[in-house]
Amino acid sequence: MEEKIAQLKAEAAAAVKGASDVAALNDIRVKYLGKKGEFTAILRGMGSLSPEERPKVGAIVNAAKGEIEALIGEQKKTLEAKELEARLASERIDVTLPGRNVPMGHLHPLTLTLERIKDIFVHMGFSVEEGPEIERDYFNFEALNLPKDHPARDMQDSFYITEEILMRSQTSPVQARTMQSNEPNKPIRMIAPGRVYRRDEYDATHSPMFTQVEGLVIDEGISLADLKGTLELFLHQIFNENVGVRFRPSFFPFTEPSAEVDISCVMCHGEGCKVCKGTGWLEILGAGMVHPHVLEMSGYDPKKVSGFAFGMGVERIAMLSYGVDDLRLFYDNDMRFLSQF
Amino acid sequence: MQVSIKWLNDYIKFDETAEELADKYTMSGVPVENVIRADEGLDKVVTGRIEKLEAHPDSDHLQICQMNVGEKELIQIITGAQNVKEGQIVPVAMIGAHLPNGLHIKKGKLRGLPSNGMLCSADELHMDLDKLPEEQKNGIYILPADTPVGVPAKDVLGLDDVVLEFELTANRGDCFSVMGLVREAAVLTGNEPHYPEIKVNEDDAASAADMVKIDIEAKDLCDRFSARVLKNVKIGPSPEWMQQRLEGAGIRAINNVVDVTNFVMIELGQPMHAYDYDEIKGHHLTARVAKAGENLHTLDDSSRVAKGTELVIADDEKPAGLAGVMGGLETEVTEKTTTVVLEAASFYGPNIRRTSRSCGLHSEASGRFERGVDVTNTPRALDRAAQLLQEMGACTVTKGIVDVYPQPKEPVKIDFTAEQINKRLGTKLAGAKMVEILESLGFAIEEKGAEVYTATVPSWRNDCTYMEDLSEEVSRIYGFDNIQSTTPFGRVMQGRQSARQNFIDKIKHVLASLGMTEELSFSFTSTEMFDKMQVPADSMLRQAIPIMNPLTDDAPLVRTSLLTSIMENAVRNFARKNTDIRLFDVAPVFYPKALPVTELPDEVVKLTGLITGRRHPFGWNQSNEMVDFYDMKGIVEELFRALSISGYTVEAGEHFALHPGKTALFKKGREVIATVGELHPAVAANFGIKQKVYLFEMDVETLMKYTAKNFHYESLPKYPAIARDLAIVVDESVAEGAIKTVIERNGGKFFCGVTLFDVYTGEHVADGKKSLAFNLKFQSKDKTLTDEEADAGFNSILKAVEEKFQAELRA
Repeated sequence: MEEKIAQLKAEAAAAVKGASDVAALNDIRVKYLGKKGEFTAILRGMGSLSPEERPKVGAIVNAAKGEIEALIGEQKKTLEAKELEARLASERIDVTLPGRNVPMGHLHPLTLTLERIKDIFVHMGFSVEEGPEIERDYFNFEALNLPKDHPARDMQDSFYITEEILMRSQTSPVQARTMQSNEPNKPIRMIAPGRVYRRDEYDATHSPMFTQVEGLVIDEGISLADLKGTLELFLHQIFNENVGVRFRPSFFPFTEPSAEVDISCVMCHGEGCKVCKGTGWLEILGAGMVHPHVLEMSGYDPKKVSGFAFGMGVERIAMLSYGVDDLRLFYDNDMRFLSQF
Repeated sequence: MQVSIKWLNDYIKFDETAEELADKYTMSGVPVENVIRADEGLDKVVTGRIEKLEAHPDSDHLQICQMNVGEKELIQIITGAQNVKEGQIVPVAMIGAHLPNGLHIKKGKLRGLPSNGMLCSADELHMDLDKLPEEQKNGIYILPADTPVGVPAKDVLGLDDVVLEFELTANRGDCFSVMGLVREAAVLTGNEPHYPEIKVNEDDAASAADMVKIDIEAKDLCDRFSARVLKNVKIGPSPEWMQQRLEGAGIRAINNVVDVTNFVMIELGQPMHAYDYDEIKGHHLTARVAKAGENLHTLDDSSRVAKGTELVIADDEKPAGLAGVMGGLETEVTEKTTTVVLEAASFYGPNIRRTSRSCGLHSEASGRFERGVDVTNTPRALDRAAQLLQEMGACTVTKGIVDVYPQPKEPVKIDFTAEQINKRLGTKLAGAKMVEILESLGFAIEEKGAEVYTATVPSWRNDCTYMEDLSEEVSRIYGFDNIQSTTPFGRVMQGRQSARQNFIDKIKHVLASLGMTEELSFSFTSTEMFDKMQVPADSMLRQAIPIMNPLTDDAPLVRTSLLTSIMENAVRNFARKNTDIRLFDVAPVFYPKALPVTELPDEVVKLTGLITGRRHPFGWNQSNEMVDFYDMKGIVEELFRALSISGYTVEAGEHFALHPGKTALFKKGREVIATVGELHPAVAANFGIKQKVYLFEMDVETLMKYTAKNFHYESLPKYPAIARDLAIVVDESVAEGAIKTVIERNGGKFFCGVTLFDVYTGEHVADGKKSLAFNLKFQSKDKTLTDEEADAGFNSILKAVEEKFQAELRA
């Protein structure tokens, strides 16, 4: 009997070892250890044994069952590990395949640039003002010390609606509008971003519509030195801390003194290249101390307050920031261009 | 304005290079746009003598030259030129020269023999071929036999001049002359100028006043009219030196009289005109306003009909010239002219500007008058011109100047203090320094007290009237760079933008996060675009404002709709093979209050969007479905969620540019807040678009009205929800939106949401019917709901939809 048990145990152990997967192992468990299994059959058949032998054989069978059970457990672990390994191997993917694209929308590069400009000035305490795009000649020119037939009007060829109404050629009229809506001599720190229109052919550097930001600061004792300091702060933030800034005397009818503001070329760092036409400098802003006429015409007293104004083209700053070499890209709205920003 | 360094050097010497001087000019507010060098590229070109010339043994056209270029050894150069002979002196480009035509001269071999340079033609040296005799135009340029050997060729060729091209500002009329620029150069370099001595010998016994009569009728348009009469005039070419100076200033030589008037204009800034005395009817010139309809026959041999606003100089019969713009043809100086009337006048700039613009005639003279000339200058200019012609032996000068100057100009005086200027500039300059600067610029300064002054403005500075103008003079010469920067932010001010601007910014950011890309478009449109978009004839959108002077005929109107703009951008993208497009635009449109426009129009900010093409990006793991109406609607719904706009209804509607069966109106009450739909197939065809395009359009102000002011979160439920699915079959014509409304109204107090999760027609559903499946949710804030409570809600909904829509519960 013992011999039979030992034989059965060996046979079961061999079967367990030979099981190739967990399913087969389960079959083996049923075959040997199940309710109708072979060890169970031995236990059932113990009736034919003498009472002395029964407990002894019972103990041997149970020990054998325990051993087989342990073996099965071990084998199961091995097989499961193997199966996991096989599954992982079979599940291997090509991680170099492109990811599933979640398409983003994009803000227009001029919007992004304008947001940066607005941020810088708002943090310096400037309010953002607006005015109409179709404007009176009075606000666009006359209130800015540009009477009809002033030669400086040639600097801007405008789209006219009537003799007295035009598509604004600059955002400067917002200056006059803001002053006139204020209590006289109330301090002002404002920028006025917006679309402006000029009769320029559409080419790589001109467009009949473009975006300007006008700025105006009025208070007691505002000086040319303040203008320099403010614009230097701005230019160092919008470009970088190391950019060179120079102020050149110039002429605008609405300011006196007037300045053109240049930055050192962001392409060649001042060494001279195509973008800066070899000069090392790029014109970036027009500015000046507000002309006493302009203050007077809008109800401010030039004896009590003074101020400075400036204007810049957003396209120009965007072109330099992003290295865009053709202004038309901004208004052609090609998806391939817009989706880069 | 352009002028050569040589001309400047006639009156002032300086050590600065042309570039250095240009920089000084620019940094003091007299901008130099370009420095043009005639000797560009001629650095290593020298004069050389051909000591020996022999034929190349292996070539029938090459010759071997042994050249003396002033060095110890002769150098060998192989040339293909046939016009050279031994003993001639020619320009030689040495090794390392980089010629104006871009040619680099390097060591080389020609048919086996070394060549160490190149003999140059006039063309290769960028000489003006028009000015050369025929035999020098081709082949090697032969220099005069007495030319020294081994000197820079530019020196002997007259190519050593440099031209400064100024981009002068509108206020600095005084710099439109060599004199004016010399005055500035004197201040900038600190060197003493030497102005020409103007001295005329009235060597003719006749008196000008007896010969010609001058009148000013239009006193507001002509301040001064001065004239001289020259007799025994011999018309011929002007001397070489004068032609050279004029060439440097960009003016072509014509004859001695015309050249002298041009020369004086450039030199002194005073435009002049010469009349043939014998052609002046009545020997009488009057400055008057043209009579409307009068014929103006100008030098360019074109006839114009006067509007009646132009200032003309007329003889007793008719206009003899457009004052300050262009002379008349009949009184022009010709080869037959023997007596000349020279005019030097001061005309009112704005009138000259208007005339020159309306006639399309811009001349050197009109440009100067527009900016204003020095009214005291007319006698000086006449004297200078008479002197120059006399020195050429081209005339005799009659006695006196006929000078009509009704109201002599008083010098402008400006009171100022050093403190005022320092305050404006943010500087601490001593009054004495300011005085020094202003005096150097020609201002006469009188000290009235401690740093209190009166400045007398020089006659040529029409641009200075106020203390502020003086502050500019001081600052530009002191140097903007020398002013220490400060900031004016001592006063705390609130930086902000308006609620509307913030709202627009938010719309842009939300749409970008929803996959839409922002476009910026021009505010122009056209009737053709309205036609293509099927805008009805009676629509107010067709009441677009016309531009008086549009850039092109394609876009003569100011837009009343953004849809036209976004369609143009879509079409441009299609043309470039971009077929997956998701664009939006936020911008104003312009509604006139009435046409023709008499007051400013209403500017209304609109928001429009367009999607077309694939729903997902093209790629290996993406489906190839195209976007449909519901993609667009979903974007709008999500935008509204983000903008806290809720409680709106959606219904089918109509729009001229949209598919009549695929147009939805989002409404708050009766007000439409958004229109969404598929582009009308006929409109798509008008644009040549083959794929389906979806659009939305909204009005930003309207959206803003309905956005919730404050956003509060909704607390999270503590008790679980119970879900029930409701699948019903209804007539196909029943709108899902209507069913949903009924569901929402009949769900009872625990109802908390419905989601449509299936729409089905086809097998198992009768024709003309559709099956809709809704997921209903019931929940309580206070307790865990029982099935019975959820069922009650469900049954109430079912009953309602059965009654309202004859819905059948689907098996």
